[in-house]
Amino acid sequence: MLDWLQFILAPQVINGLSIGVAVVLMALGLTIIFGLLDVINMAHGEFYALGAYLGYALIASGVSFWFALVFVPLLMVPIGYATERLLIRRVFHSKERHILTLLLTFGLAILLEDGLKLAFGANPLKPEQPISGASEIIGLYFPNYRLFLMAVGVLIIVAVWLTVYRTSLGAMVRAAAFDRHMAASLGVRVSHVYAGTFAFGVALAGISGVLLAPIYSVFPTMGKDFVLIAFSVVIIGGMGSIKGAVLAGLILTQIQAVSSLYISPVWTDPLLFGIMVLVLMVRPQGLFGRLGHG
Amino acid sequence: MKTTSLNLKLALAALGAALSPLAAAQGQPIRIGVVTPLTGTYAGIGQQVKWGLELAAKEINASGGILGRKVDLIYEDEEANPAVATQKAEKLFQVSNVDFLTGTVNSGSTLAVGQVAERNNRLIATTVSFSDAITGEKCSPNVFRVNARAGMQSAALAEWLAKDKPGARVFYLGPDYEMGRSTVAAFKDAAEKKGAKSVGEVFAPLDNKDYSPFFGQIRAARPSVLYTSVAGNDTVRLFTQMNEYGLTKNLTVVGASGTLTSQNLGAIGKAAEGFVTGVGYSPLIDTPENKKFVADFQAMHKALPDLYGADSYGVLYFYKAAAEKAKSTDTDKVRAAMRDIEWMTPQGKKKMRGGDHQAIQDMYAVRVVNGQFTIVAKVPGEAAIGPDSCTRF
Repeated sequence: MLDWLQFILAPQVINGLSIGVAVVLMALGLTIIFGLLDVINMAHGEFYALGAYLGYALIASGVSFWFALVFVPLLMVPIGYATERLLIRRVFHSKERHILTLLLTFGLAILLEDGLKLAFGANPLKPEQPISGASEIIGLYFPNYRLFLMAVGVLIIVAVWLTVYRTSLGAMVRAAAFDRHMAASLGVRVSHVYAGTFAFGVALAGISGVLLAPIYSVFPTMGKDFVLIAFSVVIIGGMGSIKGAVLAGLILTQIQAVSSLYISPVWTDPLLFGIMVLVLMVRPQGLFGRLGHG
Repeated sequence: MKTTSLNLKLALAALGAALSPLAAAQGQPIRIGVVTPLTGTYAGIGQQVKWGLELAAKEINASGGILGRKVDLIYEDEEANPAVATQKAEKLFQVSNVDFLTGTVNSGSTLAVGQVAERNNRLIATTVSFSDAITGEKCSPNVFRVNARAGMQSAALAEWLAKDKPGARVFYLGPDYEMGRSTVAAFKDAAEKKGAKSVGEVFAPLDNKDYSPFFGQIRAARPSVLYTSVAGNDTVRLFTQMNEYGLTKNLTVVGASGTLTSQNLGAIGKAAEGFVTGVGYSPLIDTPENKKFVADFQAMHKALPDLYGADSYGVLYFYKAAAEKAKSTDTDKVRAAMRDIEWMTPQGKKKMRGGDHQAIQDMYAVRVVNGQFTIVAKVPGEAAIGPDSCTRF
């Protein structure tokens, strides 16, 4: 029994945790953009791919992984900002906002994917792992890079949380999400807050791309990888809720990890989407409320 | 009386129709149709098929052609889509009136075009398709295969395994669909017959992100060899993650011939070192015929031939040998000549087995050393060919 806990369950749980952190990183950007702008960003996965490719290109040009890790999200900010100002803004005030922004970002996703294919080719690429080796924990070996990924992931999640809930900037963002007109009349520059928040979500996707590339490799359709599960996490957690995204992300990946000990791995995805359907039936608003409403 | 004369007229007309193209064909080029993917995912394979055929046609035409007639290649793009392939094959048989057809890549296209060939009473040969069914349960009297099938690749790998790692404990990891399950089943069967012990198997979904959830299971089974038939980017992830978890220590990784290719070898890098697979061709085969072939191929196309290029080069010599033995391009005569014929290819002498139209050839086990496939063992054709399971003819 103890052996089973140590050698079968524990590695599964810890591996699940490292995948969970990756999923939460993807879901965070998605849920923040939805919570504030009421826009479902279908191109989120492609921004993740763009981040990974930018990171790969930077590393290939000779800079270190650590530089790329800091520089790529900084590059993604103006890209995200411009996307909001030049594209999303144009259809934002339309009555059909949900449909129009969904189609717009979906089209953008197709353009980005094909653009990456043209620029970098269709074959998979992979940056070298910046941290090699493995460490022993409770008698089991875990790759150092995965441990690093979990630590950085937790840091980013905490930083996002603190920024949104404990700073005046975060207060402005939440105020703009709660009541756009009231916030504007109190002097919040709402349009900048919108563009800035979109850019922030895109930068989060970008940094996830750089962080995950050494494990999951870089290829044009990689955007589809995490985005489906990230969408389900956002829906189950409550669209727009940061707390919901973190909790739902960790719980769902643990369910996947532990259940794959007992069922064929092919069935872990249907299990996950089954849970999503159940949550939608019982609690359509998700586990937690929206940004600014909690 | 009236009916007799009508019958006679019909018979004469039929005879005339049958004779006139034959008469017209004398001295005209022999037309060979090539239905191959020139665009899309398999365009890289189609390119090699085209290059191999072009080199062979150039050589044959320079040395007097086949039966004194020049060879003319007519290309059609099948987009690796069986539905498109059948239309293009129909067009080549009906409109271009080709004598012989080759080039199909996708196993589904080969099977479908085989049926078109049966209806048109013409012969085809594949130089690429791996599926065992083509010369097995779905064999056709009009279809030949000059390349090695999947079962021969497994057999060669199992043969090498038995010699190099006798009594190996093998774990199998395949993608969870038809190709993955059939390759694992075939290799498992071949390896167990050679004394290997199976210690476990797992099937991961296609496009699986993370293989680490399976590593506990693999470790617990304590295998000495891991067989995998994942392909494309799945291979990149599997190898990278196994390396990350230190799973490759004391473990020999072997797999299907499509697992590691020039498309994904670059991204995998060092993690691919030591991988062993069974194939029907390598540019490193150390014979005068192959060295000459590789040099000529490189001079003409500025690229190395792969197994598809080599077998597509060989197929024209196969047709030449058969047509010259039959002294005709007539379907029935050429078919009879093709059965049990021996001919020279870059891989050496091949023999076409009459019972199922599958070429018998030497197979190779190759291993990745410094990012390059090097030959580690040669398995004689007779040891790899397996039983004839075709029952249609």
